[in-house]
Amino acid sequence: MEFKKKILENGLSIIGELNSSAKSAAVGFFVKTGSRDESKDINGASHFLEHMLFKGTEKLSAIEVNESFDRTGAQFNAFTSEEMTVFYAAVLPEYLAEVTNLWIELMRPALRDSDFNIEKNVIKEEIAMYKDLPEFDAADKCRSLYFDGHPCGNSVLGSEESVDKLSAEQMRAYFKSRYVPDNMVAVFAGNFDWEQICNLAEKGCGNWQRKETGRITEDFEGSKKKERTEKPNINREHICLMSRAVSAQDKRRFSAYILATIIGDNVGSRFFWELVDKALAETATMQYAGMDGTGIFHSQIQCSSENIGLVMDTVNNIFSDVTEKGVSVDELVKAKNKVLSALVIKNEVPTGRLADVGFNWMYLGRYRRVADDIDAIKSVTVKEVCSLVKELKPTEYTQFSIGPAKTR
Amino acid sequence: MAEKLDKHILKNGMVLLGERMEAVESVSFGFMLPAGAARLPEGVCGAANIIADWIFRGASDKSSRQLGDALDGLGLHRSISVGSSHLVIGASLVAGNLSEALNLYADIILRAGLEDEQFEPAKQLAIDGLLSLDDNPRQKVMLKLQEQFYPKPLGRSTAGDIKELKSLTAEKTRQITKDNFNLSQTIFSIAGKYDFEKVVKQMEKLFELDSKQAAGTIKLKPKAAKYTHIPHDGAQVHIGLMTSTVKPADENYYNARVAISVLSGGMSSRLFTQVREKRGLCYAIGARYHSLKEAAGVMCYAGTTTQKAQQTLDVIIAEFNRLKEGINEEEIERARAGLKNALILQSESSSSRAGGIGGDYYTLGRVRSLDEIKTKIEETTVDSVLEFLRSNAFEDFTVVTIGPQEVKMK
Repeated sequence: MEFKKKILENGLSIIGELNSSAKSAAVGFFVKTGSRDESKDINGASHFLEHMLFKGTEKLSAIEVNESFDRTGAQFNAFTSEEMTVFYAAVLPEYLAEVTNLWIELMRPALRDSDFNIEKNVIKEEIAMYKDLPEFDAADKCRSLYFDGHPCGNSVLGSEESVDKLSAEQMRAYFKSRYVPDNMVAVFAGNFDWEQICNLAEKGCGNWQRKETGRITEDFEGSKKKERTEKPNINREHICLMSRAVSAQDKRRFSAYILATIIGDNVGSRFFWELVDKALAETATMQYAGMDGTGIFHSQIQCSSENIGLVMDTVNNIFSDVTEKGVSVDELVKAKNKVLSALVIKNEVPTGRLADVGFNWMYLGRYRRVADDIDAIKSVTVKEVCSLVKELKPTEYTQFSIGPAKTR
Repeated sequence: MAEKLDKHILKNGMVLLGERMEAVESVSFGFMLPAGAARLPEGVCGAANIIADWIFRGASDKSSRQLGDALDGLGLHRSISVGSSHLVIGASLVAGNLSEALNLYADIILRAGLEDEQFEPAKQLAIDGLLSLDDNPRQKVMLKLQEQFYPKPLGRSTAGDIKELKSLTAEKTRQITKDNFNLSQTIFSIAGKYDFEKVVKQMEKLFELDSKQAAGTIKLKPKAAKYTHIPHDGAQVHIGLMTSTVKPADENYYNARVAISVLSGGMSSRLFTQVREKRGLCYAIGARYHSLKEAAGVMCYAGTTTQKAQQTLDVIIAEFNRLKEGINEEEIERARAGLKNALILQSESSSSRAGGIGGDYYTLGRVRSLDEIKTKIEETTVDSVLEFLRSNAFEDFTVVTIGPQEVKMK
């Protein structure tokens, strides 16, 4: 593995990790823009914009874009979160240049009114789809309850209402302010020729205009509010909990990751043995999500309405026990083994590397080898995890639940 | 793509398959146990899900907790899946821990405790898993679709039937486990970093115990109704649609795969273009090839709000019908490129390869090399695909909908 980088004069970073033994290559454009960068009146714009990039440029229609990608056989897609918008493709090495050229063109889209109007229907269907998945709905609403007015609580999809009100003009303005070179990075991973790809990116992106942009980052404690809504057509109780964690830039993020694995990995964790193994809940997991300047622990639990009381008592006991007594050496060793093997397996494929190399660049502004992450995980101590849990207090969580009407 | 297939058959008939991957540090393996939903007796639908959980609740001299801790200690990532034909249990891990992992899996398969007190939680989780499907209509519609499409019992729900699950006892489930964990019909596949000679030696020691057992047979019965609607007061109508096509062993298999890819491979495919790009009817729309050993079909899903549901179904069926009328060279070229690219990307992941070689062996009785698949895809032409479609048109649809309103089958 060899790392290469070039920063263009306009501020765009081009970075790549070469692995000559890979059979494929991956390319991604990472844009530091997401729902947290939206104001209330344009909520949903980042995600809508992600869809609109596929609609083509002044020279290419949407259908021509799709055909051009498909000619290379690429597996390509994009996603939007609160923090980032990422466009990526995985392809055989001989097609990487072609796919890269295509992405470069699409990063300067036409954003036509006619495409905007048709795509609005697709976005509204996507919003409707998630409404039928209470697990996602609960997570979305819990995030907004936790962040309680802070922009990190903005919904990625937006609401039917906010999407309806959004105009093509507002989207074009948002695009101009966020898709600027020093807010973006072009990332490559796998088997490719750096000189060729770098030249191509430089030629294609070098004329993009430099423009200042930014983001408000501040740590956030969480509202600790608790709410529940009822839906007549559902069967299970979907509980989402969020509490404070360290940011994606914090050195203690590896300890936070280990802590979440000890408390809420899908097997072998405290949640697993106390809730799932005993069949009190069919799902109970906790994850750490490091964000820009802040971070959250995020738990998802699914159980019957009859079990809510017992389940929440158990969860509260697990949280207070781990806060007061800490974690054991044995727990730490098991969690490390699981985290390390997941890391090795994920990074064996170019798309796995693409994600880590890209996110590290976006959050830290530098490259980390897989070996750096392995060392960081190996060096986490019981003392570090114990002091982290005492400081972060998982007992002080925000809760949002969606469940069936209680008078069934 | 000159991968080499490792193969060894134990004296009791258990098949060991392997594909060594030079570029990885991980290894993935799977045991395909002949205990899938369709292979179990009548009246116990869902038993495989209880078994899949119960066998991990203690084995040999280890309690449930000790076994779980031992597996976690190796850092392995478990995979458990219940399909029509098999219950597959496996793992992905860093190669150095393989030998210890295989010892634990031998305990789980051959010496699971299956204790009474561990039966109730295993059963409760299977019941809860089934009930939670009500809150995931998209997944539910696809399970119901397979149930309606395949000749019985091939499409039997892999999530279970509530009445039958509730009626199961520890004793009955123990017997089903014993009857169906037939090593003579088990396929073990491994991919990634391993030494096949060592694996064979260890597997002989661990599994070459019983004598050969006969295979169970599945008696096929007719399919169920063509259209089923399940009322659900949700935001969308979830449409599942399936139509017959050739099985993987058929000489027309690659023509079928290319045809389906023209219909719904990439974003330039017919369904995505007509349903989403041009009309904005859906966010989620797609069709894919789905096969069992005995039968195969094209499986399609679309989720859309109520007032658009009928139009969505009509456009989908029109696209299925229109396919045989003509396909251009560029569409075939894109379909071939997509299929070949997917093949190479899968070949980089040890878990995909372990699953792939095991599945091939069960369905075809042999493992296809990546070169063979690539050549066969390249050999398809506009004429071969159209000729195939004219004699095997996509027609006669099985449809299931879940949502606030029914659709009309025209």
